[in-house]
Amino acid sequence: MSLPPVAVVGAGGFGQAIAHAAARRGRDVVLWSRSERNFDEPRIRRTASLAGLADSEVAFIAVPSPFVADLAEELAPHLDGRHYLVHVSRGLIGEKLMPISRILRERTPAHRVGALAGPLVADALRNGSPSGAIVGTRFPEVADAVREAIGSPALRIYDTPDVVGVEVASAMVGLLALTAGYAQAMEVNGPTLAVFLTRALAEAARIAPTLGADPQTLFGLAGMGDLMAVLAGDDRPEVRLGRALASGASLAVAGERTGAHIEGVAIAHRLADHAERMSLKAPITRAIVGVLEGCPAQEALAALMAREVGSE
Amino acid sequence: MTMRSPFKISRRLSDRPLHLPRLSPYVPAPDDPAIFWFNSEREDIVREVAERVAEAHSGGREAMELALNDAAYHEIRRLEQQGGAEAAEQLPYWRGLSRRIARMTDEEKRNALGDLTGRLAGDVAGNFDPRVYNMAKHLVPRLLAGVMQPSSLPAELLPKRGSEGSVIDRLLRIEGDTQALGALEKTGTLVYVPTHSSNLDSIVLGRALEVAGLSPVIYGAGKNLFTNPIISFFMHNLGAYRVDRRVRARLYKEVLKVYSQVMIERGYHSLFFPGGTRSRSNLIESHLKLGLAGSAVNAFSNNRVHGVMRDVYFVPTTINYELVLEAETLVEDWLQAAGQARYIIDDDEFSRVERWVAFFRKVVSLEAPCVIRFGDPIDCFGNSVDAQGRSIGPAGSPIDPGTYVLRRGKPVLDPARDVSYTRDLGEVLVRRYRQETVVMATAIVAHVLYRRLVARTLGMDLFARLRLRGEVALGRDEVIREVGTLRDRLVELQRQGHVRVYEDLVDAEPEAIVERALTVWSGYHTKVAAKDLGAEITAEDPTLLLYYQNRLVPFALELCDERDAPAAREIATIGRYL
Repeated sequence: MSLPPVAVVGAGGFGQAIAHAAARRGRDVVLWSRSERNFDEPRIRRTASLAGLADSEVAFIAVPSPFVADLAEELAPHLDGRHYLVHVSRGLIGEKLMPISRILRERTPAHRVGALAGPLVADALRNGSPSGAIVGTRFPEVADAVREAIGSPALRIYDTPDVVGVEVASAMVGLLALTAGYAQAMEVNGPTLAVFLTRALAEAARIAPTLGADPQTLFGLAGMGDLMAVLAGDDRPEVRLGRALASGASLAVAGERTGAHIEGVAIAHRLADHAERMSLKAPITRAIVGVLEGCPAQEALAALMAREVGSE
Repeated sequence: MTMRSPFKISRRLSDRPLHLPRLSPYVPAPDDPAIFWFNSEREDIVREVAERVAEAHSGGREAMELALNDAAYHEIRRLEQQGGAEAAEQLPYWRGLSRRIARMTDEEKRNALGDLTGRLAGDVAGNFDPRVYNMAKHLVPRLLAGVMQPSSLPAELLPKRGSEGSVIDRLLRIEGDTQALGALEKTGTLVYVPTHSSNLDSIVLGRALEVAGLSPVIYGAGKNLFTNPIISFFMHNLGAYRVDRRVRARLYKEVLKVYSQVMIERGYHSLFFPGGTRSRSNLIESHLKLGLAGSAVNAFSNNRVHGVMRDVYFVPTTINYELVLEAETLVEDWLQAAGQARYIIDDDEFSRVERWVAFFRKVVSLEAPCVIRFGDPIDCFGNSVDAQGRSIGPAGSPIDPGTYVLRRGKPVLDPARDVSYTRDLGEVLVRRYRQETVVMATAIVAHVLYRRLVARTLGMDLFARLRLRGEVALGRDEVIREVGTLRDRLVELQRQGHVRVYEDLVDAEPEAIVERALTVWSGYHTKVAAKDLGAEITAEDPTLLLYYQNRLVPFALELCDERDAPAAREIATIGRYL
């Protein structure tokens, strides 16, 4: 029996990379894009109509998080219970930091949803360089479908039922990648950056349960693994944005220069406010917000270093 | 002089249920609900349940041994700890089984497993006697009314044609589209999933179904309920199946789930409380035990795989009391050891007849209502269901629920998938419970008083706060003003679809709401929740106020103004840590 086509929604860098990875696996791909650009890979067929995705089994949602809700509503009439939706966004939506998997579940009839994350960057995915990723989903068949679509000996795809944990970890690493880029540009030394990022991850792990996530997930591929890829220099857009901000560019200019929608910036504020509402200490997140609002980075770092130190 | 212990009588009744003598078999009418056919199917159902569970463990020698050993180990342990007549009767069987397991051939193990699951399924399976159902239908409300108002008993027992309904029916307010539910019970299996506040819930819900013209349901009743002889009699004859929470054997739990699944597959409308037990705190349930809900999802999948297109509809239901019979015991239990509450309480107000009488008299004299609100039904996957029984997707168009169990175009059984669907369904139910909760006067007034107590003791340990009996007083005018503001905000939340407000409160004078709550509390509970001192009202018993106001915890942040925000933030954390 021939396998159903793989759907990819969004033809940004990551969407295209997923399409190429699936095509390399021998799968037919339907790529939804509003642009009229076509692809030289014969297995990838572009469509401008969401109805064209209905024959697929798994659809990868690769649009920036602010657009997911509207897209889900447009997509809904073309889906039913047989479809699996897997998103790759790093965002958490609104004041309540709603996971995108929940938005997909509530606004479309497709309930078998997942989130793909981890140390996976578009270039490696497109080129087939050795890499790994994690799919958070409560449905084992969704993890199987993702492996069938893009997994290979060069791309190890793990799974976890803690879908919200993967989403929180992914969002948090997006924010920390931006911070790491900023810190590198400021020539913050390695040990300082290591302490900062490790404690930031611990802070995220304190916040995670209030969002319905298992804190342990932050120390797996979706969190720690992804952060290691940042520090190993994968030069992802978030890191470039951090560097651009450190050079004095405004957020708008830096965003334009890095050529990607950066979700970490939007989330920093909401995460800090959420921590406050939950009576949780989140000094690092708050410091990042301060820097993004113009507070001198050295000053913010010094304030953090001056805090009372205790047990890990 | 020695008296026969009521406990022994109760146990005798629960162990040896009373049935009415069977002179001639009842022949159900064609349009009778499925449950009227139950007794003719009972043996077949017990056999099917026993076979399915036994088969699930017959995959190999080790699997069979594990199942038998697990059952023997847990039962011997339980019976040895428990002692008494049940232990004397059953221990020899279990000890004998335990000794023999290692020496059994595979065939003997298979037979032992079949025998055991048959025994367990037979113990669980209920009974439905249409005569008892008809008797209960006519007699129970009148008898209860008589308990409440002895002077009304003759009139209740011999009602005049055209007279008003029983007093209990006047106190029972039913909300929701029961007509639509009546239509749906013809096309699919209804699974009522109510919130759980009191042991009276299954009684009032049963009555509500009857008043609304809906079919009776089957439900699992905790064995502790059978300790009340009157309740026991009806439980045994009205389709209740018996759930003994003391039995830890894995096989027993599977038998319960499969029994529920088989009944739903066969179209028996069902009821279970996803909270698992009464809400000790009176918080709206947010942590659900989804085992039985999962059995309904499994039933749907299994039917589809076998080509049976009968749908399953969940009905999120809230049961809302202005006065809760067991409030004092429940909240004390919740607070003990920070949530290490007893799962089974057998010495609460429910087991004491004099508390029943006091409760019902109070309820009737005040006409303190119980509101049963049937929410709009949803399918096994959390989708809305329209009046024709079709699942409706978020885009507003019908979708086939069968697509959720498809794998590459074919319906397949997948227990892991169904567990995930059940968990998602649980999240939908939690949201629906909040939306369908009906806020009563006692919750509003308790919230105002408790919030002020918190405002004056910000950051204080909960237990220290609860010891401040009668130490915080508020001006009467202030209470009335705040109650009015709170009610108005609740009405606004109702408009947005977030919660419901008891209809009598929507336009009521705030002062009347305050009077109402104070009157309802006084005289029934052994402690005074709030005391009316004329110009002031004191938060007399913070524990009872906490209990009643807990219904509003999910809305605390939306109900406060800036001044009360710090207190509301503390209130909003209730239940998170305790």
